[in-house]
Amino acid sequence: MQRPLVVIPHLVRMYVRTRFEYPGATMLGWLSQIVAYGGIYTAIALIVTRFGNLGGWIWPEMALLLSFHLLAYSLGASFSFTQFRDIEEKVRLGTFDAVLVKPIGAWTYLVFSGINIGYAGHVLLALGLMAWSLPQVGADWTPLTVLFFLATLVSSAAMVCATMTMIGATALVWVKSSHLYSIFFGFWELARYPLQIFPFPLQILMLTFVPLGFLAYVPVAVALGKPVALLGSAAPLAALAIGPLWVLIAMAHWHYCLRNYQGAGG
Amino acid sequence: MAPIISAVGVGKTFRQLKRQAGFGGALRGLVSRDYTEIRAVEGIAFSIEPGEAVGYLGPNGAGKSTMIKMMTGILTPSAGTLSVLGREPHSNRILNARDIGVVFGQRSQLWWDLPVRDSFELNRHIYDIPDSRFADNLAYLTQMLDMGSYIGRPVRQLSLGQRMRAEIAMALLHDPKILFLDEPTIGLDVVAKDAVRRFLAEINRERGTTIILTTHDLVDIEQICPRLIMVDDGKLLFDGELRHLRATLGSRRRLTLEFATDPGPLTLKTATLAADEGAAKHYLLENEAVSLIDVLNEVGPAHGLKDIKLEEPDIEEVIRTFYLNKPKLAGSAP
Repeated sequence: MQRPLVVIPHLVRMYVRTRFEYPGATMLGWLSQIVAYGGIYTAIALIVTRFGNLGGWIWPEMALLLSFHLLAYSLGASFSFTQFRDIEEKVRLGTFDAVLVKPIGAWTYLVFSGINIGYAGHVLLALGLMAWSLPQVGADWTPLTVLFFLATLVSSAAMVCATMTMIGATALVWVKSSHLYSIFFGFWELARYPLQIFPFPLQILMLTFVPLGFLAYVPVAVALGKPVALLGSAAPLAALAIGPLWVLIAMAHWHYCLRNYQGAGG
Repeated sequence: MAPIISAVGVGKTFRQLKRQAGFGGALRGLVSRDYTEIRAVEGIAFSIEPGEAVGYLGPNGAGKSTMIKMMTGILTPSAGTLSVLGREPHSNRILNARDIGVVFGQRSQLWWDLPVRDSFELNRHIYDIPDSRFADNLAYLTQMLDMGSYIGRPVRQLSLGQRMRAEIAMALLHDPKILFLDEPTIGLDVVAKDAVRRFLAEINRERGTTIILTTHDLVDIEQICPRLIMVDDGKLLFDGELRHLRATLGSRRRLTLEFATDPGPLTLKTATLAADEGAAKHYLLENEAVSLIDVLNEVGPAHGLKDIKLEEPDIEEVIRTFYLNKPKLAGSAP
């Protein structure tokens, strides 16, 4: 266990140096993300302020929900999205084999050799929006609620990372798994909104098999003292537990897929 | 001495979807998932002693890369027992990786956008190489592989030959006990191939590093590996010294004689005429012991010989000949 901890900073440094080989593209990437998300959030803000609320959530609460959604996603995805999206190509080209002949865990190597600083734009926008919304939502912030809020943020980010791991790992067995990202991002779009605005079956789905309701809605609703659809008083514990639970499932799936890795031929 | 690698009845079976022809077949394939089993490696058995250099040879699809992947811990064997340095490589993948070096001819392990030196530095940390050993090895490998002029350049700016030398150097920085090379000379020009071959032969001779090399190129085997393991269709065809194989198949060498003008029919005792194009005549050399000098002596100066070319059989032909001669060869492999 000690060896990976020593190696991780070197892996991260290599990836950051690689990104800075193309500084213009990196800066432009950050800017484009801020503009793209800023546009989406402006549209949501206009709709919510025009109609007063969305499912009982006023604009500052919606802004907190959106910022939590973006921050948790970008923290989790920076450790996982490009790394596991690219596994499919690595398997197809056989370059995943090169990861498996290193004396370091394949997950550790993949994740930390590709930590995506390209998510800095997401993080900046999310933090800015959160800083604006927090004083306006009128929540009763105590040390315990702050701790809960931060812990659920980590739990949500871990859930994102675990989901990406599972999708990427599937490519080790199926060779192709990119279509699963389309499904993920479909639900991820819905996870920006309060869950109660969706039909009941969809609410069930987003709290069970595709638990992206926990990405932002459940923790933010708990922090704001709002009733949580379907979960009720179990919501705080569920928001904290979903990340670790999903990580355990992802670990089992990753190891299963690694054991059954066949390559793509050659 | 205990073998460094031991394979007993090793097999690897892949499950492959049965694909039906046409659009209708593709639609049927969505609901009916029939699989066939492809035996990429079947009943392979050999043992390799420390310090050996072994060429693992065979045509495309023969199961060479699959066997290398099993020995390096990438794939799990479906059958048999495989031991590398006394361990099961697939279940001890990380431990195994510490003691081996792997070079993939067509898959780079270097960081594409960064200088070669940075990839080496990263490996120093991954393999926990002590500073002094790293410095010594880096100096030795830089000199031996003539990397001084490009070690500070980004990998994307290197020629294929330079990159391959850097790949080999990176695989050796941690002093692996075994070096696996999967087609290390593929795509290289003649000069680069020669440099790689000379270096690998030296590292095997001087440092005692065990070398396992897959290739299509018989010259790789000749210059690096005294021992040859030949496979086809996943099965072992031959395991022994190269000269035993060549002694049997020497008749397949091709000789071309080019004359200033057509000398007419020309029969030689040392070679059999295979094709006559007038001024160019093609022969097959029957006997491994026959040399170019023997041929020149027999042709003599009278026919106006302009050029002479002797070609070694390529691997496809060697294997084809091997198949044809299999009944004769049975039991001859040491």
